[in-house]
Amino acid sequence: MIQVSELHFSTEDGVKVLEDIHLRVEQGELMMILGPAASGKSLLLGLLGAQITPQRGQILVHGRNVGRLGPDKMLSLRRRIGVVPQGFMPLPRTVRDNVLFKLRALGNYVEQAEEKVLFALETTGLIRQQGSDARELSSIDRVRLGISLAICNDPLLLLIDEPFEGLSEDEKAEVARLLCRMNTGHLSILVATRGPVPPGLEMSRRVRLVDGMVKGA
Amino acid sequence: MNTQLFLFRELLGAIRTRSALFFVLSGMLLFLFLTCVASFFMIAPSLENTSTDGQPIEELRVFLSPRLSSSTIDQWFLDWRERDDVAGIRFQFAQEYDKTDSGGVFIVSPADPALASELASEFRSIDGVTEVVEIPREPIIEASSISLVIRIVLLVILVLAIAASLFCFRRGYRELLRGFSGEVRMLRLSGISERMLGALIVALGGLLGLLVGLFLLAALFLFHQIALFNTAAFSQFGGLTSGIRVLSVGMATLVLGVVLGALAGLLGASLLHGREFDALP
Repeated sequence: MIQVSELHFSTEDGVKVLEDIHLRVEQGELMMILGPAASGKSLLLGLLGAQITPQRGQILVHGRNVGRLGPDKMLSLRRRIGVVPQGFMPLPRTVRDNVLFKLRALGNYVEQAEEKVLFALETTGLIRQQGSDARELSSIDRVRLGISLAICNDPLLLLIDEPFEGLSEDEKAEVARLLCRMNTGHLSILVATRGPVPPGLEMSRRVRLVDGMVKGA
Repeated sequence: MNTQLFLFRELLGAIRTRSALFFVLSGMLLFLFLTCVASFFMIAPSLENTSTDGQPIEELRVFLSPRLSSSTIDQWFLDWRERDDVAGIRFQFAQEYDKTDSGGVFIVSPADPALASELASEFRSIDGVTEVVEIPREPIIEASSISLVIRIVLLVILVLAIAASLFCFRRGYRELLRGFSGEVRMLRLSGISERMLGALIVALGGLLGLLVGLFLLAALFLFHQIALFNTAAFSQFGGLTSGIRVLSVGMATLVLGVVLGALAGLLGASLLHGREFDALP
């Protein structure tokens, strides 16, 4: 479960980017964060993913206060959060080696890592392209690869930033179906997008961010 | 294979032609630097400075005829000791200098080294004195008696070599990290610590320093072997004939190479603070 309360964030110049954010995401929930460009969606995901230290307010991720974690605990929390950044660019390797690199870097043995690679690629439907050069993948397959990387180490929370950008309507619907398929167990999924919400995700909970403030949940 | 080794292998695998060229160049410059350092300890004292020519006379060895009676020798000893131009006198047996010799020797320290020759001439004219040997003072040999010009030239090369080496290291790291930036971003996003990322870069510098140091150690050993058989050709580098000196200087430069390589690595690790390595865009 994720709980955000009284979260504020300002730039070095004093410009308020996030203001008094209150949010609660249950375990296994799929939530859409909607909002125009520069409304603070990516920053909010960065804060939830323990990539950015909060300035004011509280973020609890599975009971751990992100703002008060020591460096080691912060790193171990990051390992349990899968993040697909906006405009994700894969490494210049094969699809399989992209995922394998991350798993090996996280300390998995070869056999264990290869098992996890196959599971992640099967889940996202990329298993047939595992030998392909990741830089030559289509836009939707890049999104799939980003998600494979994010879920390969069995995360508790999945944060995806603008996964529908540059996709056709059919591809958006396909990504939406993939997200719904993954949203069956304990995994909480937060998707930030400018909208509109693609078909298949209409039933998911939505939060609208406007000028750094939550306007409707 | 543990995480550090895996990542280090991946980092090495990311070295491309341009970065390799810069690393080779920086390694060569580091080699030049270490060679200059080693040279300071290998250059032999110059022969001019070891010559005793022109040195003041420190003592006179006055060899006495074995035919002289002991009472005469005693009397001479007492008389000479009282002289103003004699600072000190002691008696030794001539056998102490040459086993086949007989008789005695007075070791006379002149009160004024400038007048020692006159004193020697006077002793030579005495009947019963067989020989007078003038012993000059041993020259003071400086630890490194190389000329000031050579020292300055070596120092200039040292400074230029290390500065150029660090510059090339930094360029090499920049090229390398440019090709490894995607991996760095992914590692940061995945929760790999900054300490580990920095340690990889430092380790690469240390490895380069180690290789350069080992190469210099091998070169020193090779020159040591050559110098043993051809001393004349290496007369300016007398230290090369001493195995212990070669080994100790080689080990010291090896450690220095690793330390400097690791420092260059720290310089390279500072590049990781650039925006292109941020986990999130």
